[in-house]
Amino acid sequence: MNRRRPDQPVGRVAVAAVAVAVAVPVVAVLGRALRIDGAWSLDALERILSNGRTWRLVAVTVAQAIVSTASTAAIGVPLAWVLARFRFPGRSAVRTAAMVPFVLPSVVLGSAIASILGPRGLVDLRATWWPVLVAHVCFNLAVFVRVVGAALDGLDPAIEDVARTLGATPWKAARRVMLPAVAPAIGAAAVVVFLFCLTSFGVIVILGGGSVSTLEVEIWVRATRQFDLSGAAVLAGIQVLAVVATLALHARFARRSVRARRGGRRWARRPDSVGEWTQVLAAVVAVGAVTVVPIAALVERSLRLSDGTHGLDHWRHLGAASAGTGLTVSPWDAVRVSILSALAATAIAGLVGVPAARLVARRPGGAADRVMLVPLGVSATTIGLGLLLAAGRPPVDLRRAWWLVPAAQALVAVPLLVRAVATALRELPPSVSDVAATLGAGPARRWWRVELPMVRGAVVAGAGLAFVASLGEFGATVFLARADRPTVPVAIERLMSRPGSAGFGQAMALSCVLVLLCGAVLAVVDRGVDAFTGSRSDPS
Amino acid sequence: MTDHTTTRRSIPGSRRLAVVGVLVVALAAAACGGSGGRNDSSSGSDDTDRVVRLVTYDSFALPEDAAAEFHEKTGARIEVVAAGDAGAMLTKALLAAGAPEGDVIFGIDDSLATRATGPDGLLTPFSPQPPAGGAIDDRLRLPGEMGEQLTPIDRGDVCINVDSGWFADKGLVPPGTLDDLVDPRYRDLLVVTSPVTSSPGLAFLAGTVDEYGERWADWWERLRSNGVRVRPSWDDAYNTDYTVSGGDRPLVLSYASSPPAEVVFSEGTRSEPASTIMGDSCVQQVEYAGLLAGAEHEDLGRKLIEFMLSPAWQEALPLTNFVFPAVTGTPLPTEFQRWAVLPESSRHVPATEVGAERDEWIERWRSIME
Repeated sequence: MNRRRPDQPVGRVAVAAVAVAVAVPVVAVLGRALRIDGAWSLDALERILSNGRTWRLVAVTVAQAIVSTASTAAIGVPLAWVLARFRFPGRSAVRTAAMVPFVLPSVVLGSAIASILGPRGLVDLRATWWPVLVAHVCFNLAVFVRVVGAALDGLDPAIEDVARTLGATPWKAARRVMLPAVAPAIGAAAVVVFLFCLTSFGVIVILGGGSVSTLEVEIWVRATRQFDLSGAAVLAGIQVLAVVATLALHARFARRSVRARRGGRRWARRPDSVGEWTQVLAAVVAVGAVTVVPIAALVERSLRLSDGTHGLDHWRHLGAASAGTGLTVSPWDAVRVSILSALAATAIAGLVGVPAARLVARRPGGAADRVMLVPLGVSATTIGLGLLLAAGRPPVDLRRAWWLVPAAQALVAVPLLVRAVATALRELPPSVSDVAATLGAGPARRWWRVELPMVRGAVVAGAGLAFVASLGEFGATVFLARADRPTVPVAIERLMSRPGSAGFGQAMALSCVLVLLCGAVLAVVDRGVDAFTGSRSDPS
Repeated sequence: MTDHTTTRRSIPGSRRLAVVGVLVVALAAAACGGSGGRNDSSSGSDDTDRVVRLVTYDSFALPEDAAAEFHEKTGARIEVVAAGDAGAMLTKALLAAGAPEGDVIFGIDDSLATRATGPDGLLTPFSPQPPAGGAIDDRLRLPGEMGEQLTPIDRGDVCINVDSGWFADKGLVPPGTLDDLVDPRYRDLLVVTSPVTSSPGLAFLAGTVDEYGERWADWWERLRSNGVRVRPSWDDAYNTDYTVSGGDRPLVLSYASSPPAEVVFSEGTRSEPASTIMGDSCVQQVEYAGLLAGAEHEDLGRKLIEFMLSPAWQEALPLTNFVFPAVTGTPLPTEFQRWAVLPESSRHVPATEVGAERDEWIERWRSIME
C-alpha cells in the first residue's frame, strides 16, 4: 500500500461516529451503575459483587461456554478435516450447507430447537442445558468448518508425503503432522466460538425456560423483569471485561494463524476406501443433522395444528393480530418493520462502514481497527439497555424515534461490513492505485474510480451480511422495539413466551419467513460469511 | 467464489457503481419513506377512528361487548398492548415512563403498587369513583398517594389449584396446608411461577412470608428439595405443566377462579371443574388501573378508567378474566356463584409492606431457587 496516502477525513469522521455511538450507551449504563439518585455511589457494585449468585452465574456462564466450545470442536474439527481432505460429489454444497445454522437468527435457531426439544416436541427438555448446548453446537459448527477448513486447504501436501515416506501411518501423519500445523486455526476458531457462547442471548432466552441463565440473560432479567437497572449495569460491566479478555486471547491466536495458500497442488483427493467413504457419509449426515433437521422441524411445526393434523392455518393467521398471542400488531407487520429497519440499518452501516474500512485497511491493528472491534465486544443487551437509558434523558426524549432500532442494529452490524471491505481493500495490489496516481488522479478520484469499483463485491457482500445481522438482531432490539413496531425476532420471542397458545405455530411460521429472507440475501452474497468467521478464502 | 475473483480483477465502468449508488439511496429512501408513510397513515386514521391504548399483561382478555359499548359512547376503539406477565409489563412501562406505549395501564397488583408509584413518574394522579349507585370495596383501596394514582378494578385471589381427579386415581389425600407442600409425600407434584416475572408468583411469595415470617426462606429451601418446578409465567405453568392441561404436575399456582374457567372454556365437555382450591395457600390479589403520564390520548384514558368501573365492564370481568369485580353489588354469573369461592382465609399482605421488602425478598428467593 501507498505509505504516503493523504489523510481520510471522511474515514476519521466515520470511525469517530462509531466510537461515540458505542460510548453513549456504555456511559449511560455505567452512569446508572455508579450513580444512585444523582449521587456517586458504590452500593450497586458492592451489592452485586458480594452476591454469591453473581459469581455462580459467572462460573456457569464460562463453564457452559467451555463445554459448548469443546463439544463443537469435537464434531467440528473432524468435520472440517473430512470436508477438506476428500473430494466428493456435492462437497461444496455440503460446505455451504454447514454455514446455514450460523446465519440463522439466534431466535430462529432457538425456536427450531424448541420445536424438537420443547413442549410437544420429541422430548421436553425445557429448563435444562441440553437444548442450549445443542443450539450452540449447531450454530458454531460453521466456524470450525470454515476456519480450520481454510487452514487445512492451505497446507502444503508435501508435508504429508514426507511424513508417509518416513513411515507414518495415515492416522499418525494426520495426528502428528497435519493437525499440529493447523493448531493455531483450531485455537482461533475455539476462541471465536467461546466468545459467541459467552455472549449468547437469543437461544437462551428462548430455550432457557427462565431457569437456565447466563450473565447476558441475567442483565436482561434484572433490567426488564426485576427492574434493577443498577444491578444490570454492574453485570454489563463484568460482561464487558470478560469479552475484552477473550478478544485479547483471540488477537494472540489470529497473529499466529496460517494464511491460506493459493494455487499449487491440491491437497484434497477422492476417498479411496470403504473407511474413507464412511467418513464422508458421516460428515454429510452431521451437516444434514444441524441444517436440514432444524429447518424441517420449523416447517413441520408451522403446519401442525392444535388437533394434530396439518394445514396452513398458522400461515393464514399471520395477516392479523390475534387475541391471546401477546402481539399487538399482525405478524406480517413485524416482517415489514423488520425489512425496513434492516434496510435503514444497512444504509447507515454502509455510509459509516465503507469509509471506516478504508482507514482500517490502511493500518491493520491500528486505532481505527480496534475501534471497529469494540461494538462486537460490548454485548448487545448492554447496547440496547444503554441506548434506551440515554434516549430517555432530557432534553429530547428519543424513545419514540423510529430510527433508534435501525441505529442499534447498524452499530451491531457495522464491524461485519468493515471487516469484509477492509479485507478486500488490503488484498488490492498497491500498484493499481499507484498507476492511477502517476496518471494524475487525486486521492478522491483514485478511491471513487479505481479502488471502490475493485472492492465492489466485498461492499455488496458486507452490506448483505449487515442486512442479515440487522434482520436477526435481538439482544439490543428487544430493549428498543416499541410494542406497535416489533421486529420479527422480537415478535417470535413474544409468541414463544406463551407455549400453551396458538402463538407457537405462528412463531414457527414467522421463523420460516425469516429463514427464507436470510437465505435469499445470503445466497446472493455467500462470500460475506467469511468476514464473520475470520477466514479469508474457500478454494473449493 | 471463482467468479468472484474474476469480477474483482476486472475494473467495471462507472455505470455499475452508479447502480450501487442508486441502490443505496433507494434503500435509504424506502426506509425513511416507509416509516414516514406509516406515521401519516396512523395520524390520519386517528381522526376518523380514535384509539385508546390499554397496556396490560399477556393473558388479559378484553371484554368485547363492553369494549363495543365504550366505542359507542366515546367513538374510541380500545387497543390492547400486551407486554408479558404483570411484572415484565410494569418494568417495560417504567423504562418507557414519560413516553408510554399506551394511555392506560391495567394489571398492576398490590405487590407491585409501590414500584408503579415510585420516583419514575409513571402515572398521572387520577382515581375516579364508580358511576352513581356503585362503590368500590373499601378493603381494596390503596392508602395515600398510591390510592390517588391507582384505581382498584378487580380482585382475583392467587391459590394453588389441585387436580382432584389425579389425587383420587392415586389414592392420595391432596395437600391441605403450606406445610404439606414440603412433605415428601407430595414430592415433584407442584409447579409455581417465578416472583421475578409473574405477579401471582410474587403474591404467593408474599403470602409465604406472611405465614412463616423470618423462616420463610427455610420453607422455600425445603420446597426446593421437595422438587418444586418454577416457570417464568402463569401460561407456562398452567397451560403446559398442569395435569389438567396435559402436563405432569397435579398442583399448580393459579387463581381461586380457575375452576369455573375450566368449565366455561371446556365448551360443554365439562359440567364440573376438574380442580379444587387449596384454601390455605390463597393470597388476595387486587388489580389496579392507572393513567400513564405523557399519554397521547389522556382524555380518552380518563374515560377508559371511568368506564372500567361501570356495570358493563365490571359484570363482564368474571367470565372474561375470571376475577371478582371491585365494585360492590355487581351481580356474579352462575358459574361463579357455584364454583368460585373467595376463600375466607385468604391472606392479605398490605401493599406498603410488600413494597418495602419486595426487592430483598426477590433477591433472596433467587439465591435459593435459581
